[in-house]
Amino acid sequence: MHIDDDWYEELVNAHQGLSDTQGQRLDAALVLLLANQVADLPALRACLHDARTAVLGLEND
Amino acid sequence: MQVSFSNGRYALPEYPFCVPPELSGAAQQPHPVAIVGAGLAGLTAACALAQLGVPAVVLDDDNTVGARGISSRGVCYARKSLEIFDRLGIYRRMLGKGVRWTVGRTFDGGTQVCEFDLASDASASRQPPFINLQQFYVESFLIERAAELGGVDLRWRNKVVSCESDTRGARLSIETPAGAYSLHADWVIDCSGARGGLAESLGLRRRGTCTDDRWCIADIIFDEPLPAERHTWVSADFNDGRAVWRHALADNVWRHDYQLDPANPEDIDEQAIRARLRRQFGRDVACRIIWTGTWSYRSECLESFRHDRVLFAGDCAHTMSPFGGRGGNSGIQDADNLAWKLAWVIEGKADASLLDTYTDERRAAALENIRTAERTGRFLRPASPAGKVYREATLALARHHAFARPLVNTGRMSQPNTYVDSRLNVGRGGGRSIPNLPLALPDGRDGDVAQLMKWAGGDLVVLVDAETDDLIALEARFPVRIVASARLGIFPEDHLVLLRPDLYCAGTFERGDVAGLEHALRTFTCTSTMTGTRNS
Repeated sequence: MHIDDDWYEELVNAHQGLSDTQGQRLDAALVLLLANQVADLPALRACLHDARTAVLGLEND
Repeated sequence: MQVSFSNGRYALPEYPFCVPPELSGAAQQPHPVAIVGAGLAGLTAACALAQLGVPAVVLDDDNTVGARGISSRGVCYARKSLEIFDRLGIYRRMLGKGVRWTVGRTFDGGTQVCEFDLASDASASRQPPFINLQQFYVESFLIERAAELGGVDLRWRNKVVSCESDTRGARLSIETPAGAYSLHADWVIDCSGARGGLAESLGLRRRGTCTDDRWCIADIIFDEPLPAERHTWVSADFNDGRAVWRHALADNVWRHDYQLDPANPEDIDEQAIRARLRRQFGRDVACRIIWTGTWSYRSECLESFRHDRVLFAGDCAHTMSPFGGRGGNSGIQDADNLAWKLAWVIEGKADASLLDTYTDERRAAALENIRTAERTGRFLRPASPAGKVYREATLALARHHAFARPLVNTGRMSQPNTYVDSRLNVGRGGGRSIPNLPLALPDGRDGDVAQLMKWAGGDLVVLVDAETDDLIALEARFPVRIVASARLGIFPEDHLVLLRPDLYCAGTFERGDVAGLEHALRTFTCTSTMTGTRNS
């Protein structure tokens, strides 16, 4: 499965009607659920690293 | 002299001050060991040394057990500590007086989010996972045991005010009701607690962190029975959405800890406690509140637990939050790790550098305990907005998703530390604590590992499947006993198993690897050839 437009829209729409706090908790719960599904510590650490690198704009591109 | 309890009131023993020989002009004995502080660590060290035949003078600024004001500090005694107390001879009394428990439940509001039962992971040790008991009882048992063992010179109202260390030992300056004096000891063990400590007078620094987390204790006797379980609330409606713990203690006393509002850390009085109980139970409950008091915590650790001939054990070496019962238990385990090593050095069985393994092993243990306790602290009082978000997400998931429940952290109960990097891990799989398993003693009686190590009198023990001449020959050259009678099912049947006096395994060796074993024993004595003498 590819992360496609449908999923992206579902992800964003899931936040509809939520307060900022609820939205943050939703994302956190999702991260924990997905981490449990992935169940691969090196892969999760790589994701964490990639996410931080991207958000902080540290990539060499 | 014992702790007495009647009508919901405790009376702690008051031990008499005796004028020390240094001030009375009586004949003075040399002091191989001086222990500063008669708390859990100091008294454990004194009893452990006495059992090994090493006398000690113990100096305490107080004249009673526990903290002043009838408050109990340590609550939960973990299996590893109970195994030590079994060897030292007070476990039976603790079992008789204390409360055994195995079940813990964690609540979020009115909903239980997780539970554990430690009975289900029985290690087959003779000791249970936990006994809860007021610390002043444990200390009073140790004081009586020290008197039975002999060789412990316990001096009450002897306040150590400074320490000067030199290459031959240390000189302590002491104040008493009869005047001041000084005392020289070959070795000093500082067990003077979180507030005391010789570290300052020796110019040593503790590094650490503190938080704004504040809690209030209430020790309460209820007329109605409650389950002997550990209950924790991450968020209790009856405590304004903050955390609460409840633990059973002896005499039907229940220890409650209420997390306070850090912005407004009120001084909780009896009325405020009763209001919380009314909200919790939905009615007035018949009870007596026997103690209240607020507390906070900090994490600190000395850079080294040895400074020349001064050794640090317990809270004066490391302080941490009390989550999981790591304070008292780690002090007890420090003392037991140190006692046999110090006895070896004093008796000439090993070079003084053996004591560096005390610092290596127990400082690593302290840092592990601090890290574990700090994680609990951050769950109960998140230090960042993200910490708060993930905590609320975890709690929300925990209600219906089993995977999230182990992440709910209201305290990870104290476990024996594995000494991962110790140079005393001389064989395969070394550095792990060994449960007090049943086994046959050398004289044929049924016993257990603690009794075996007590029999060995502070020597190492090698479990073998058959005694050979080259193995027996090691007994004459090293502080070690070769034992063929006993096997432990947790190791391969034909391996040589090297056990330490503190119920740790130093490693296993292939059958017939006597050379490897001999090399290992040299590591223990810190010598290339044997220099000490073996006691008969």
